Amino acid sequence: MNSLHMTRRRFLRSAGVLMALPALESWQTRAFADGKTRPPRRMVCICTPLGMHPPDFFPEGKGRYEQPSSYLEALGELRQDCTVISGLAHPGVGSSHDSQDSFLTAALHPENRAGFRNSVSLDQFAAEKIGDRTRFPSLALAAEGSSLSWTRSGAMVPADSFPAPVFARLFLQGKPDEVHKQARRLEDGLSILDTIREQAQGLGKTLSVRDREKIDEYFSSIRELEQRMAVSREWSKQPKPHVDVPPIENNMNPADLIGKTRLMLDLIHLALQTDSTRLITLLLLGTSQVPPIAGVSLGHHDLSHHGQDPHKISQLRKVELEKMKALGEFLTKLKSTREHDSTLLDNSMILFGSNLGNASNHSTKNLPILLAGGGFNHGQHLAFNPDNPPPLSNLFVTMLQRLGIETDQFGTSTGTLNGMEA
Amino acid sequence: MNPPLITALVLISFVLGDSVLTAADPPSSAVTILFELHCMECHRDESPKGNVSLEPLLHGQRDVALWQNVLAKIETGEMPPKPKPGLTVEERQIASDWLFTLVSAEKQMQRNIEGRVVLRRLNRVEYENTLRDLLGVSVRVRELLPQDASSAGFDNVGEALHSSSFLLARYLEAGEAALEQAIANGTQPRVKREHVTLEAAYQVKQNSENVFRKGDGGRITMFSSSPWQAATMFWIEQRGRYRFRLSVQADQSNGRPVVFSTHIGGGGGGPQPELVGYFDAPADAPKVIEFESFMEPRMSMTIRPYGLAPSSEIAKAGPQAWAGPGLAVDWIEMEGPLNDVWPPESHHRIFGGLKQIAVKLPSGNEMLEVQSNDAVTDTKRIIEGFARNAFRRPISEDELAPFIAMVEKRRAAGSSFEQAVRAGLVAVMTSPQFLFLRETPGRLDDFAIASRLSYFFWSSTPDEDLLTLAEKGQLHDQATLHAQVDRLLQSPKSAAFTEHFTGQWLRLREIDFTEPSMQLYPEFDDMLKVSMLREVRLFFDELLLKDLPLTNFLASDFSMLNGRLAKHYGIAGVDGWTFQRVKLPPDSHRGGVLTMAAILKITANGTNTSPVIRGAYVLDRIMGMPPKPPPPDAGSIEPDTRGSTTIRQQLARHRQIESCGSCHIKIDPLGFSLENFDVIGGWREYYRSTGNGKPVEIDGKKMRWLQGPAIDAGDVMADGRKIGNVDELKQILLDDSDVFGRALTIRLLTYGTGGQVEAVDQREVTAILNQAKARKWGFRSLLHEIVTSPLFLEK
Repeated sequence: MNSLHMTRRRFLRSAGVLMALPALESWQTRAFADGKTRPPRRMVCICTPLGMHPPDFFPEGKGRYEQPSSYLEALGELRQDCTVISGLAHPGVGSSHDSQDSFLTAALHPENRAGFRNSVSLDQFAAEKIGDRTRFPSLALAAEGSSLSWTRSGAMVPADSFPAPVFARLFLQGKPDEVHKQARRLEDGLSILDTIREQAQGLGKTLSVRDREKIDEYFSSIRELEQRMAVSREWSKQPKPHVDVPPIENNMNPADLIGKTRLMLDLIHLALQTDSTRLITLLLLGTSQVPPIAGVSLGHHDLSHHGQDPHKISQLRKVELEKMKALGEFLTKLKSTREHDSTLLDNSMILFGSNLGNASNHSTKNLPILLAGGGFNHGQHLAFNPDNPPPLSNLFVTMLQRLGIETDQFGTSTGTLNGMEA
Repeated sequence: MNPPLITALVLISFVLGDSVLTAADPPSSAVTILFELHCMECHRDESPKGNVSLEPLLHGQRDVALWQNVLAKIETGEMPPKPKPGLTVEERQIASDWLFTLVSAEKQMQRNIEGRVVLRRLNRVEYENTLRDLLGVSVRVRELLPQDASSAGFDNVGEALHSSSFLLARYLEAGEAALEQAIANGTQPRVKREHVTLEAAYQVKQNSENVFRKGDGGRITMFSSSPWQAATMFWIEQRGRYRFRLSVQADQSNGRPVVFSTHIGGGGGGPQPELVGYFDAPADAPKVIEFESFMEPRMSMTIRPYGLAPSSEIAKAGPQAWAGPGLAVDWIEMEGPLNDVWPPESHHRIFGGLKQIAVKLPSGNEMLEVQSNDAVTDTKRIIEGFARNAFRRPISEDELAPFIAMVEKRRAAGSSFEQAVRAGLVAVMTSPQFLFLRETPGRLDDFAIASRLSYFFWSSTPDEDLLTLAEKGQLHDQATLHAQVDRLLQSPKSAAFTEHFTGQWLRLREIDFTEPSMQLYPEFDDMLKVSMLREVRLFFDELLLKDLPLTNFLASDFSMLNGRLAKHYGIAGVDGWTFQRVKLPPDSHRGGVLTMAAILKITANGTNTSPVIRGAYVLDRIMGMPPKPPPPDAGSIEPDTRGSTTIRQQLARHRQIESCGSCHIKIDPLGFSLENFDVIGGWREYYRSTGNGKPVEIDGKKMRWLQGPAIDAGDVMADGRKIGNVDELKQILLDDSDVFGRALTIRLLTYGTGGQVEAVDQREVTAILNQAKARKWGFRSLLHEIVTSPLFLEK
């Protein structure tokens, strides 16, 4: 270990922060000459909150696709890099749009609202283990208000809903005044946290049990943020990665769900490629407004409640096909990005799915799930019995293990998912 | 720890610990007989109804949850269920006295140590409003913070308000952003004043379709409501508050007003144009309309007439020959950024008269920063002044010291005076004393009461008056409390109460969850949606300010309507945007919140209605008896708008299944009685269909939907009573208005204190209800009773 590390370690100890030190060099800057260092594994989880029309999403028959579904058709040859999984569900997550909150957490009964408390999401669970290896432990994105990512205490991790500021955070060095301000902000922040931590400590002693739980939670939030900020101080000494594209600009049309999705996917590609983070969640738009897609005259939400009306279903298909195309373009980019002797897609698991199996009646059974990349053996339809399915969390455990995290449990899992082989 | 306290704690753990006590006193014979007579037929150990056996109760086993559950069911009259004979007044008293003694002994013990309300963190609305009032400038920081979770139906309930490192990071950002808006670091922006005619709008200049009529003295008349022919003008360079004035008159409108809306927005990368509001242009004489808006650089202002012809028709006839109504605009003025003094008041409030000097930034640019000749004294004065208000109670030197020390440390590390002080202020805004509403178990002190009052009615921090009363120790006094309720409700800040209470109680926040299908409901538009929300809020305010009986929420002979809603409801004689109190015709079926379009829209999706959703809404929101969630594998009805099966046929199948039927027999009849209201709250005799049915013409125009099956709103309730339509539903609710009174009171208490109301509290709720009833159910009287109840005055 070199002396720089020693100093950092000493500094962090003195700041009251004890943690695994980040490997500050991005893996890309390291040489592969020895052939031993492997590109890191990443995970992207995408949720489209209004379901996917099941007859178009799921292929007929099990195993290797003989007759790909119309949506898989839209992915072209890339469907060989995907596995479609049918039948899965989160046990104890009932019919409602609120099931979105449990999509990556498997927390029970979000539909009851009263008394519902969320738990840690897949990405944040992973970030606790591997988040310190990149400039950003994780990235939560959403094309609108909400978020798929939740902390262990059940608090929402606020997601970015516009790509331009994220692009700036990831890749732009900033003007001198901004850099200066950012550095000061970091130092101010650490001082502030130091001050309020003591306040919380003092206050906690005087409180009753239930109140003290609240202050304890606040107190540990301070500690966690202190650690994160100490790490970002170290990262801020490293130049940000350079990307050879014009900065991403925001799409200000709230109805343009495909346009917004494309921008977010472009951003994710860049973030993965530069190893800025290895864990990303993206919640797509479920807008009530009419999207600018040829032949579509009704809002997406309205269409998802098609009531078997054939006109609505045909419009819904158009919207969802556009979504699949955008996904296909994204996967193509990942596949054409070389990493050592593999591709970025080989090293990135892309989960694409929905918290609703049938949005027309808010059913949370038989969720549409697609897993792409990550070096799995793909090109198949894994069909489970929707009336007695394994928990979706089993797939999550499989994904966590693929990330190199030693765990055999997540959410409501009962094991790993049979049929997903590397 | 002193010995008596230790004894007390041991005692408490003895009583509350699950393993220690397993038995309570068995019930008296009177109680046993009563339960045998009314309850045990259904609630024995073997296959008890609702999976609730009352045997443990009668055997004297300790089961606090069961006691509470049974107590609530008896107090609310939910059990024994109709048509079984109910308890006599005397029986109910005996049963509830016994249970109440059991539960309250347990609860009281817990309450003494814990209180009812869990430590509340400010939610993001409260946080923003609090900073607005502390800093004296309207700050927009809400969007920086993540959405808050809710519990017991409200997002200000302590249990649900969690912290996370992400939230804290956002607090740091939001605190800084708020200071950025309060503190001036530049010279006073030059005020720009413009006085223009509509010619300044590029749509008029280009006149691409020839739809504007030019008159004398610069007057230009707009005839089209097509969005691309709205008039957009002005180009803002400096952010700040701007005042807009425009002189308008309705033209060729047969004496009726012409409605128009104004919007601000646009600009590259800026937000979408945002509605400022709707206005009336009167027919008889020009009127000057004035409004103020906060503008960002590159924003513009847009004027759009409502409900006029599409541009193609006007272009065809030519604007000179066009005989339809129009909006005449004489002139438009813009002035801003508005700053009465510089640096602005908010800056002065923090720094007082400290001088600013120019400092150099790394880029070489300059900005102004506050300087101090006596940094130690000034720091103390600024931090102390801010923290005193921010903490909502007196603070000690010890409490203050760490914040001051921090500022000194930042300065020692090289920060400038202003930068260090700013960091100190952000520390105060992120501290637990600021973010949490601290209350100690038992009777609240006056400062805690001041905060309860202000966060109840203003969603914001107590003002000087409240803090002064608290300091004098007068906030326990009943007359003072009543007077303060009245004062707080008079303030414009009480709009927060109306918005956030109705937003959650009646679910108005969900108004945009679905967009009505354009094919089925072409008459739906933005003005209708905005008007719907306004009706509910104005109605709520009307009951509140005039202290009208809260039974008006169930049924009323008036509502607050404007022209758009009146047309929607088929009520003649109301024109334009302006709202007024309108006496409802006897056959209108309207009156009371359940017949308001907003509620009917929220309880439907964009294409069809479901009696299940609406029935559950009535049970939950109006009667306070939320139905149990459906069993996990129940799924829901697959809607069908093709006109082949009706919802009644689908539900009939549903009700035959026993596991569904036992709840649905309570839910569905209530919902069916609202079936005459479509998804946007219009009255209907037939469903609209997209598949089968008869073609329909309205005003000579063929509709894109068909007339489907006829509506049948009748049903039979679980107790055998029939409901034929919505009027009968209202009567049934009125007959039992205590049920609604209790439900509303519990909601108000939950929202007003940020803590759940439990079964053990039902007694106090009953006391409030009795008082309110004696005051003729006046809505404001109810609030008076609430704030003087122990439920409000104790933690």
